Amino acid sequence: MQRSILSRRFIIGWAAGILSSAAVAIGLAVWMIFGGGFDASASKQHLRPVAWASHTAMRNWVKKQAKDVRPPESFTQAHVKAGAREYEQRCIACHGGPAVPRAKWASGMIPTPPYLIDTSRHWSAAELYVIVHDGIKMTAMPAWGELEPDDNLWNVVAFLEALPGMSSDEFARMRAEVSAPSPVNPGGGSDLVSSAPFTR
Amino acid sequence: LFAFLLTLFPAGRGTPGKLVGLAAAVVGAAVLGGCTPSKAKQPVPGDADAGVSTITRHACGSCHQIPGVQAANGLVGPPLGGVAARVYLAGHLLNTPDNMLLWLRNPQAVFPGNAMPDMGLSDKEARDVAAYLYTLR
Repeated sequence: MQRSILSRRFIIGWAAGILSSAAVAIGLAVWMIFGGGFDASASKQHLRPVAWASHTAMRNWVKKQAKDVRPPESFTQAHVKAGAREYEQRCIACHGGPAVPRAKWASGMIPTPPYLIDTSRHWSAAELYVIVHDGIKMTAMPAWGELEPDDNLWNVVAFLEALPGMSSDEFARMRAEVSAPSPVNPGGGSDLVSSAPFTR
Repeated sequence: LFAFLLTLFPAGRGTPGKLVGLAAAVVGAAVLGGCTPSKAKQPVPGDADAGVSTITRHACGSCHQIPGVQAANGLVGPPLGGVAARVYLAGHLLNTPDNMLLWLRNPQAVFPGNAMPDMGLSDKEARDVAAYLYTLR
């Protein structure tokens, strides 16, 4: 009979290969989980491959979730303005705006919250809704769907869609309008940033 | 690099090991020496590597495309590839190191109401960012 490819030596070598790979993988996992080997700080970025993998996984998760989301047919200026009010109170501290910086502490967060001026050029309305509604794990993005009614979230999406068509002057005017004391917001302004840094 | 070379050739293994170690030290010193003049030629005295993390930390990539910075794919301001060789900054300031630092630190003072916010960069952060940007030829 011909010598089988599954000779004794082959099987032993194969098993040894599997076992040593498993030992290395387990060792690495133990080191990362129990040995403090995983850098959980917000002061340093993930390693490049980890950052790439988690960011890509996040993007694909958002795209998949968004398939079941039906955005409203269209947004009106009233939606945009209501969204601007939400943005002023809940978003601007971390995400800033045209000519408006984020709160100082936002640069102490890694992954860092992005400016959103062009975000609707990168994400569809349904995808933005998913991000606002469900938040992003292991970043500081909250799941606003746990806190706010759906209509408010769609208003924010309407505002984000309008943002690239808004000059920094128009943005400033809209901020002033929605920050003025109103029955909805008797104090006026944001509860997160103390004063508007934009002055002309 | 020097320490790494030394670990490859631990001392105390007899004369050959020591000789190799010495050779490694000489090579290391030569490499380091070789780096110094090129650093002196930098237009801004900053740490380009630290600049990359400052750029990441301040989310510059959400408005600019920046080669070498992860997820820096913004479409708000100009792409920064080749900025080292660009003639004007913000379409108005001549691209000198001083103007670069001015623009990075206080863009709203240069053009009030322009889309780029004052990011609150410290002097050192601005120098590090400029040092990195000036590697983008």
